[in-house]
Amino acid sequence: MADGGQDLRAWDRAQLLALFDPATGALDRRVLSDEALYQLELERIFARGWNFMCHDSQIPEPGDYFISYIGEDQVIVVRDEEGGVNVLLNTCRHRGNALCRAEQGRAKSFVCSYHGWNYALDGRLIGVPGLKTFYHNDIDRSRLGLARARAENYLGFWFATLATDAPALRDYLGDVGRTGLGMICANGEVEVVDGVQKNVISCNWKIAVDNLFDWYHVPYSHASANTAGFLDIAAIQHPQSQMVMLGEYGHAIGGPGIPRERQDQIDAMSDEERAAASRAAPPNSPRIRPRAARDLMGPVGVRSEGHPNIFPNLWITLGGLQMCLRLPRGPSKTELWWFTFVPKGAPPALRRAMIAQANHVFGPAGILEQDDGENWSQSTRSARGFSSRGLGQYIGMGLGHDQAVAGEDGEHYIESAVGEHGQRWLYRAWTEWMAARDWTELKANHTPPPTGPV
Amino acid sequence: MAPDLTTREKLLSDRVLLQYEVEQFLYAEAALLDARQYRRWLGLLADDIHYWMPIRRTVTLADIDREFTKLGDMAYFDDDRTLLEVRVRKLEAGSAWSEDPPSRSRHFVSNVRILEIAGDEITVEACFHLYRTRLEADIDSWVGRRVDTLRRTDAGFRLAKRHLFLDQTVVQSTNMSTIF
Repeated sequence: MADGGQDLRAWDRAQLLALFDPATGALDRRVLSDEALYQLELERIFARGWNFMCHDSQIPEPGDYFISYIGEDQVIVVRDEEGGVNVLLNTCRHRGNALCRAEQGRAKSFVCSYHGWNYALDGRLIGVPGLKTFYHNDIDRSRLGLARARAENYLGFWFATLATDAPALRDYLGDVGRTGLGMICANGEVEVVDGVQKNVISCNWKIAVDNLFDWYHVPYSHASANTAGFLDIAAIQHPQSQMVMLGEYGHAIGGPGIPRERQDQIDAMSDEERAAASRAAPPNSPRIRPRAARDLMGPVGVRSEGHPNIFPNLWITLGGLQMCLRLPRGPSKTELWWFTFVPKGAPPALRRAMIAQANHVFGPAGILEQDDGENWSQSTRSARGFSSRGLGQYIGMGLGHDQAVAGEDGEHYIESAVGEHGQRWLYRAWTEWMAARDWTELKANHTPPPTGPV
Repeated sequence: MAPDLTTREKLLSDRVLLQYEVEQFLYAEAALLDARQYRRWLGLLADDIHYWMPIRRTVTLADIDREFTKLGDMAYFDDDRTLLEVRVRKLEAGSAWSEDPPSRSRHFVSNVRILEIAGDEITVEACFHLYRTRLEADIDSWVGRRVDTLRRTDAGFRLAKRHLFLDQTVVQSTNMSTIF
């Protein structure tokens, strides 16, 4: 079958579903290396899903744009004269040239640098040099506007999909996705801090996503951060009080959870009492969120101190301070983009402290993040060796030892020690997305979040 | 008997001497980093050092003032002495996996120009090229401009500021675990 590490056959449904076995936790390593699978991911995962674009505050005025990606499709996210946001494929309909080369800016319209075709902020083709003299007015401009993605926002976070049959964003996010975005806004409305850190890692995007659910690696991968006195890993890991939330279509949250009894105490406090308790609490105490957070995150989600992932590739971290996009750049390459948010009108000292935390923990120079990339690169590398590829990944921690329960608002969650429920949910959803030819098939053939033994 | 120097010659000779002193300091500092002598490198830092690398972006000429993020916004490095000491302790930990086995680095400094002398502080602009190889075949190459402030003390120069302006927008590296 394979030559040069690549299986160039088309994958059929049964083969795709067999790439991960949720009953044993065995993952076929070809999901990290196979070119044909990667091409299928661009179609069935990225073009189909809702992809994070940017935040409202990055494009406040008409004409403001930010360049983002749906998989490897580059898109212009631009606010138009009416205040709406358009997500347009950054490719001229004439010869395919990119209309925007800057990664952000402000434009009145988008003029192609090749032959001067001109597009309005909503993507309509409004100018064609030589329309009369060369084209003899024989061109249907209404059919040659920029290709558009569907764009919707939740709490000011803009997402886009290339699937016309995708569910509405709010439904797509479900309780888990909404908890994740709500975590960012738990202390009030936010604005982005200027500057998106970007770097490229020689790894498959999924191993980076897998890692965000992984609270097992923390004491080992990040041992040096502990030794250097940067943080106290024992105080942040909470290995025995983890809460995993599983959402429809692959969204999940993994990481520490605030014990129910403690949250009950918090829920009984006024916002003033919460603020005072927060100030008095020792470092690394459970987070005391304001009352409004419960509406945004739900009665179970508000107890999460973990890492939400909005399927496929949007990680929300540091209690909602940052998000990290993992953009695919081939089976063995991933770009990481870090967005940072602070409450609107935050006092300067608080803003400084939040930005310092973001700058020092994550990003390519981050004291924690530095050590992750090489693990992911080496894991990806071994998926290319003929024999090492055949070994599979073992994602079996906690399998069969825990119970998923339904919360009062229908949330599905698991309270246990450190485990790999989030990773199994990720890969299981991934196989189902890959096996489905469209949203109709995916809606009909995906595993609902479980209750009972997991 | 040495001939008397004209005023112009005296000025020039002072400048040459200062240029020499500054360059020798920068080369010695680079050599410490390449030799993984991080403790000794820390000894060259002023207590109030600011070590900063803003994020660079691709912008149009009309937006060129937004090419770099500003002080106080997001950055790749925005460190004080405490943070740099953390970085060094991390490098020494024996468990900083991105630097153990250690990288091999070469710090090149060129185009050194003294921009300003204010009291005991000298502002120096230079081009840098930090070349790093890791493991079997990983190669990182970081090029850019930097602005350093050297402060003259009884013990020699101390580095009071290092602002690094990298010539990459999407950083083409798994990490930046090396000291620039």
